Amino acid sequence: MTRTIEFRDALREAMSEEMRRDERVFLMGEEVAEYQGAYKVSRGMLDEFGPQRVIDTPISETGFAGLSVGAAMAGLRPIIEFMSWSFSLVAADQILNNAPKMLYMSGGQFPTPIVFRGNNGAGGQLGSTHSWCVESLYANVPGLKMAVPFDAYDAKGLLKTAIRDDNPVFFLESERLLGVKGEVPEDEYLIPFGEATTRRHGGDCTIVSFGRPLYFCLEAAGALADEGIECDVIDGRTIRPLDIDTIAESVRRTNYCVVVDQSWPFASVGAEVAAQVGEVCFDDLDNHVFRVHSDNVPAPYAYNLEQEMLPNARKIVEAVRAVTYNA
Amino acid sequence: MPIEITMPRLSDTMERGMIIKWNVKEGDAVSAGDNVADIETDKAIMEMQVFDDGRMARIVVPEGEMVEVGTLIAVLAENDEAIQDVAGAVSAGTPRVTAEKDAPETADADAGTTAASEPAPAAAGGRIKASPVARRLAEEHGIDLATLQGSGPGGRIVKRDVQRAVETGRETVAAVPPSARTPATTVTPTPVAATPAPPAALTTAVETIGGLQPGSVPLSNMRQTIARRLVEAKSTIPHYQVTVTFAMDALVGLRGTLNEQLTDQGVKLSINDFLVRGCALAIHHHPEFNASWGGDHLEIHAEVNIGLAIALPAERGGGLVVATIRQADRKSLRAISQDSKHLAQKARTRGLTIEEMSGATFTISNLGMFGVEHFTAIINPPNSAILAVGAALQKPVVRDGELAVGWEMSATLSLDHRIIDGASAARYLKTLKQLIENPATLLV
Repeated sequence: MTRTIEFRDALREAMSEEMRRDERVFLMGEEVAEYQGAYKVSRGMLDEFGPQRVIDTPISETGFAGLSVGAAMAGLRPIIEFMSWSFSLVAADQILNNAPKMLYMSGGQFPTPIVFRGNNGAGGQLGSTHSWCVESLYANVPGLKMAVPFDAYDAKGLLKTAIRDDNPVFFLESERLLGVKGEVPEDEYLIPFGEATTRRHGGDCTIVSFGRPLYFCLEAAGALADEGIECDVIDGRTIRPLDIDTIAESVRRTNYCVVVDQSWPFASVGAEVAAQVGEVCFDDLDNHVFRVHSDNVPAPYAYNLEQEMLPNARKIVEAVRAVTYNA
Repeated sequence: MPIEITMPRLSDTMERGMIIKWNVKEGDAVSAGDNVADIETDKAIMEMQVFDDGRMARIVVPEGEMVEVGTLIAVLAENDEAIQDVAGAVSAGTPRVTAEKDAPETADADAGTTAASEPAPAAAGGRIKASPVARRLAEEHGIDLATLQGSGPGGRIVKRDVQRAVETGRETVAAVPPSARTPATTVTPTPVAATPAPPAALTTAVETIGGLQPGSVPLSNMRQTIARRLVEAKSTIPHYQVTVTFAMDALVGLRGTLNEQLTDQGVKLSINDFLVRGCALAIHHHPEFNASWGGDHLEIHAEVNIGLAIALPAERGGGLVVATIRQADRKSLRAISQDSKHLAQKARTRGLTIEEMSGATFTISNLGMFGVEHFTAIINPPNSAILAVGAALQKPVVRDGELAVGWEMSATLSLDHRIIDGASAARYLKTLKQLIENPATLLV
């Protein structure tokens, strides 16, 4: 039995279920308790779990991110909400230097099972300092995992897995997707990390992406189908670990690959996926791997400029045409 | 200092060589010991190694061109040199002499030379741009990339270009007049048969373009070389044939029993496996069957390596290759079975290495699986004989004066009369017959 709920509800259900299941799990962040969540993701959770387990914080990401590292080392399992991943930058030392490395530096004594979650990517005219896509910055670091849910179903399944994972998990949501509705089963389910899924099947070109840009990819794939080009659209689901096998299996069939990444091009997740595809599928490629990214500029505030900056459907269509020598 | 690479003398009698395939491109890094080219000598196709570390600066002699031993064929830049400097400094005007001695060979070599060298100057230093998929497809279909016009950026040959060439069965010509190409349509496809097979058996052309459509089918360098050597074998070796019929009842029975008992171990012996072992063991009593003609002497070889003729599918260029089962006399039936299955598989998929295709001292060609009863094969030089095997069939036989039904298989030896006379051939076949008709002796 499934029911239709919003992406934000799926996130809340995941957190609530895990908090009922394991009393060591708690939620902390700006506005998560009294205000019911800056984006209403944690609505009702303060009432159910009380102020010891749903905790409002001052505006100090370094402070509460650091607190979570200590709490985790002491045996708890924190969920830290960043109102925006843009704000995680001030907590970089805690989330990059401490959390992912603690297990290693302590010789295996102190795992840090923390989930850091929040909105990632352009949110709709939030300006350049509040529109960060952090995947390419952070994916480089060993010791962390990174998940990017596409819809309500994936949001719940991946978040539950993230909470149960003993490693720090960076959970990148999107403000633009919080209201998107989807079919979510009533019964419990988890989605394992490292397993990509295909959102659309086709034999002419492989498109790979994560999270919100997949909606642009599917839009592009629809337009391309009218031109007779059928695309395999692969949702990687988790950046770390990356399911290169599923991607490679598709590229071996299609011989062409376009990677769509909402972060900037240089030293990005898109570049990493393209490099891995090149390594694994060299003999099966008819062209080099193409990448579609956000333009190499800080996110504009003006609506039309922001839309143009993103890896939108038009750019994806052009890339697929070019890579398949149909330009 | 640039390192000059000249055509090496790969055998005592070698005077000229042809590069069948360059295994590196200009710009590639090479290490001492790398096999940079496959070279055809008077005797065999051999690998040429470099003895220095460096980068390939310039390929002077392209594939398909016959040059004298000692001719400059490539230049390496040492690791700290710029390739462009080296390539430019070496003069491209090295004389390439095609000898006048062997008339038929020269005519083909000249035609090959003209055809092969024309596209090379057009592309920078003979480099062909093609995507990995296009290269793989072209190799699978036996299409020479030099004959294609690329539709990708910078003239890159892409998958679609190769697919078109495969479908139309014609090369999209870069700069070569059609008359310079060796006509491919008249090549006999099953060279081991003494009587020519019907032309409809042409491999690549018919299977891929579905029906009789005129056009020329490009042949890979490897295939052209094999063709040349077959002509040489048939015309220079005094062939004669001796046929024998084996009573196969015991072997058919033993094979059935063994296969049943070995099902759990994944072993499935074929009649050919027994023949390989039989021929190899028989050779121990008749060493001239493991010999090569040396002019004033016979060279008896130490190892008994049995060659198996394997037909290649159209996607691998058609034709046939001889794969070698080394030291077949020292291998058990199951080892022979494993080897031959592996080699056949590999030949039909990834292709065989030079090592896997050379070194045979005696060859077996088996058309039994096609129901053929009898045929004669062409000796695979430098062997002294080849055994052509037909199908094992139930026939009316005479036993103790009574008519009965028995399994019989016919096999025909083609022999080099310079090395083996009729009586020797008959004695060998007698030994072989004894082994095959008492197959349990093959097990020990």
